Amino acid sequence: MEKINSSIPGTVLSTHNGNLLTSSGIMSLDPLLGGGLPVGTVVLVEEDFRGLYSKILLKYFLAEGLVSKHSTLIASQDVNPAKILKELPAVIESDPEPDIKQEGQAITDKMKIAFRYQNLPTSTAAPRSKHIGHHFDLSRNISFSNVDKSDIDFWTGEKLSTGYSSFINPAYSDLLKTIRNKIKKGKFFLKDNPEKKSILRIGIHSLGSAMWLPSRSSISCLNENCQDLYMFLFYLRALVRSAHAVAFVTIPAYLYEEKILERCIHSSDIAIKLDSFTGTELEKNQSLKDYHGFFYLTKLAAINSLASKNSGSIEYVFKLRRKKFSISVLHLPPDIETKGDQMDSNPMLGCCGGSNKSLLEF
Amino acid sequence: MTFLSDPSVTNPVLSSLKIKSEDKIIFIRENSLADSNFIITHLFKQLLHQKSRICLLTLHNNFNHYQTIGKILGYDLREAEGKGDLKIIDLMEEMVEYIDREIEDNIHDERSQIIKCVYNTMEKQIEHFISTNNQPVYIVIDDASHFLDLGVELGPIIGFVNRCINLTSKDNVHTVINSHVESKSDLILANSIQYVCDVFICVSALKTGKSTDITGVMTVVREDNEKKYHYRTFDRGVKTFNPCDTIYNLYK
Repeated sequence: MEKINSSIPGTVLSTHNGNLLTSSGIMSLDPLLGGGLPVGTVVLVEEDFRGLYSKILLKYFLAEGLVSKHSTLIASQDVNPAKILKELPAVIESDPEPDIKQEGQAITDKMKIAFRYQNLPTSTAAPRSKHIGHHFDLSRNISFSNVDKSDIDFWTGEKLSTGYSSFINPAYSDLLKTIRNKIKKGKFFLKDNPEKKSILRIGIHSLGSAMWLPSRSSISCLNENCQDLYMFLFYLRALVRSAHAVAFVTIPAYLYEEKILERCIHSSDIAIKLDSFTGTELEKNQSLKDYHGFFYLTKLAAINSLASKNSGSIEYVFKLRRKKFSISVLHLPPDIETKGDQMDSNPMLGCCGGSNKSLLEF
Repeated sequence: MTFLSDPSVTNPVLSSLKIKSEDKIIFIRENSLADSNFIITHLFKQLLHQKSRICLLTLHNNFNHYQTIGKILGYDLREAEGKGDLKIIDLMEEMVEYIDREIEDNIHDERSQIIKCVYNTMEKQIEHFISTNNQPVYIVIDDASHFLDLGVELGPIIGFVNRCINLTSKDNVHTVINSHVESKSDLILANSIQYVCDVFICVSALKTGKSTDITGVMTVVREDNEKKYHYRTFDRGVKTFNPCDTIYNLYK
């Protein structure tokens, strides 16, 4: 359904709605988004409690940009953006940890009773098209040769520009200024017509965290100062819409009230929520032992289209392996107790001795 | 007598809405996690078919979005713009320029000035439309709640909406306002408009969660008459149906 856009590397033109798509860096995420991230959109990621998995998502997004020769801007007040860059995963030729199920599926999944359903598709997902993204290995870091050749800028919020700002915290307006300058300098505006077209990837880590509080404010004021967050997201969306750019923003959702988050989601185009099992009662749930958390695609805006590509009621889960982060459909195992469990739970009668017979057997 | 070429008869969304020329103020309330944009894009189809003129103030989507959907639904906004039947005020685009000016020239910030400038531009355009011929004129605002994101206070926003509504006292001038509801301020704004509107359309997501069969619920209130529809968005259009006959409509 997509054709590769030769003029801009790392993008495809969706023949479905004319959107220019670029990869998120995660092979299993792009199909859920309808082929990739539409250029000119803001992606909002609600961080998990420890911010571990959301940071991995951001790293994939940035690494994909570097490999595709896109320009990059990394912003964070919590972590040094240069450190994020150093920790980006290395690009590799093939899937580092392919699903074993996929390889042997043809042989093992043969139906014996309901053979007439043999050739029906197993899921309602759209047919897979040629993927534009790359495979990455989380256990290795990106090589310096890739980094040195790339157009990368950092924003740490250490040196803020002076002057009047409509934001309570001048850091927000300074970051907007930096993004605007980067777009202008790199000729990313849609009205610009550079010889060699490219895309700007904007990665903002932990926007609105405690580090974004205006001076002399306590963390209890975070929800009162949400106006800055609303205004920033509106301006960011306006900027990104008018340019060949994609913004990937992570927000520490646990610090904000639900209403505030929903307003932020309204001002973004794609909203993702990562709900980690760590520290919750689900951590020890045997049926979820293969996964690390729930993955929610809260919003997938219908841009240039009437219908959203959001798959509706399907539940997704994510898993972090040694080399790979993957998102898959939640499949709960059948509710059958193991033989061992059954034996443990059955009380043994004294006269039965060491017999393994069931209580109903004589 | 009805004509099959009339979209208000043949189109499922428009036939559910039943917008008439007497409806002066139409208010669309978009609840949390719902997308009511399809109402406006479908209304454009009816308005352009009736040879109405449109002044669109957009704060949520850009022109390209409306144009692409217009092509799907069978109208051409660029052509209408060329003919002078459509005026687009893209505030998102304007605000990008505003960031530049604010940062570089340190212009003293007066957020309510934005809203005044927007109103003046709209008023001039409406007067121009009225002076040319007697065809109906529609002011379309999508969506008004984004003024709150821009830091404009609730008072000036309600004042702006009130002035737009006052324009409808002129013959053939109508207003369509879309507003998203999330926060308390959004709710006050929505309730204020709902109180004065002739047709109230409320678009919500399903209470029970997401579904592949139904996208959401659309409620149309006209005076004391309230009608509820389920709707489903497709790539080429939107289907509406009564909540009780969902399955029948989907698979026929």
